[in-house]
Amino acid sequence: MSFQIDPISIKNKEQKTFLFSKIGISGSGFERYAAAMYFYKHGKISAEMLEIYRRCCKFDKEDPIHVAQFEGIKIIPNLSQGL
Amino acid sequence: MKDFIMTKAVKNNNPPKNWDRSGLPGWSYHSPALLELEIEIFKTHWQIACHISDVPNTGDFKTFDLCGERAIIIRDSSLKIRAFHNICRHRGSRLVAKDQGTCKNALICPFHGWVYNLDGTLRGAARPDTFPDLDKDEFALKTVEHEVWNGFIFVRFKEGPQPSVKELLSRHKEEATRYNITDQIPTDGFWTEQSPVNWKSIRDVDNEGYHVAMAHPGLQDLYGSNYQDEPYEDGVSRSEGQFTMSKGRHWGVRNYKKFSKQQASLPESLAKTWIYYGIFPNSVIAMTPETSLFYQEFPVSVDKTIIRSATYRYPNEDRQQKVARYLASRIDRETVVEDKQLTIWSNESMVSDSFDGFYLSDLEFGVRTYHNHLRALLPVYNIKKAPKESEIKHLNASLETKSA
Repeated sequence: MSFQIDPISIKNKEQKTFLFSKIGISGSGFERYAAAMYFYKHGKISAEMLEIYRRCCKFDKEDPIHVAQFEGIKIIPNLSQGL
Repeated sequence: MKDFIMTKAVKNNNPPKNWDRSGLPGWSYHSPALLELEIEIFKTHWQIACHISDVPNTGDFKTFDLCGERAIIIRDSSLKIRAFHNICRHRGSRLVAKDQGTCKNALICPFHGWVYNLDGTLRGAARPDTFPDLDKDEFALKTVEHEVWNGFIFVRFKEGPQPSVKELLSRHKEEATRYNITDQIPTDGFWTEQSPVNWKSIRDVDNEGYHVAMAHPGLQDLYGSNYQDEPYEDGVSRSEGQFTMSKGRHWGVRNYKKFSKQQASLPESLAKTWIYYGIFPNSVIAMTPETSLFYQEFPVSVDKTIIRSATYRYPNEDRQQKVARYLASRIDRETVVEDKQLTIWSNESMVSDSFDGFYLSDLEFGVRTYHNHLRALLPVYNIKKAPKESEIKHLNASLETKSA
């Protein structure tokens, strides 16, 4: 699955910012999960990856990318950009 | 309780001759069956949830709980104020557990993780593969009716007999606008306290100023006999207290009078006056030259009541105004303590077989007019002797039918 965020979409840009919000910042886990839900709805993130974001959302210091890597879940290349 | 309201009614608007000076029957202050009916009054009447300055930015929220209902007031991404039931459409969990905070991106249910956009529509259910497709509008958060009046955000959980807030308070529109309350900002957050009395005992004390000279030396020093009171009419009362000419005998009052200064937007007549609007059934908005505030009370049980209040100030306040605001709150704090005791004494009389009920002064006509508003909604208040608990609901319904 590719992860091409439409550069002209303000909403996409905004949600991308939330998706890549800094690990450890208070409330960032919820921000990432909410953004992941947005991209899931737009077919950009798998249900498996969305679930990783859900599991991590209450733990601001938990990096969903690391969790996915640890569990062997395929990470779309673009998803790791900006981290 | 921010009890500026205790200054009410020393001067009164001429009650009619031979008016009925009795109050509500004692049993109505400790009847669980009646409380169930009263709670419907709270749900069907406008309630002040907060002020627009409590939720200034996108995602800022304030919650408001009342008699088993719960609302969340939030700014959406276009800075529009919205009000929702603080209830997830999945299993009914609270979406936000804090009283106040910010959800930058979306509202996320802490139970299973359903995600809602800030406009209330469903962004998506957790584990979406386990659900059929969910329509974002069909599963959106349920809205709570709300209205902004001079910066105060009112909510109403159920449709009720009151008109819009704008219409309800229309006769005070011009006066209230002078205070620029819309532009004001929070001072010290929300204050809540539980009091061991029936909610009506708080209202009963709050709706009259007859006790001020006896119970509130600070307020007496501030206002003396300059208080005026307009009893409840069409759900709203108004009181005002103009400062007396004296310098003030008490330290706090003396210095408050010294430092309180006129706001540019206020006419001379309001420059040294505290104004109060009582809003049936349980809210008061007060304005002083330095602040605006609201307070309200909600029943928890027949003998437990939550009191909730918040105060707002001008954003460009100078040092003198800040000092005056502090001194006003100091006068208020003392009054709160004094009043709390009065409500306890008033409330405990209601369980005594030896108490024959209120016999009200002309200066307590506001109590009567307030009670009349209650009687109009629940005619069972007119029954003097305590009915059987199991019969109260039915009795009230039959009295409603008769009066209709």
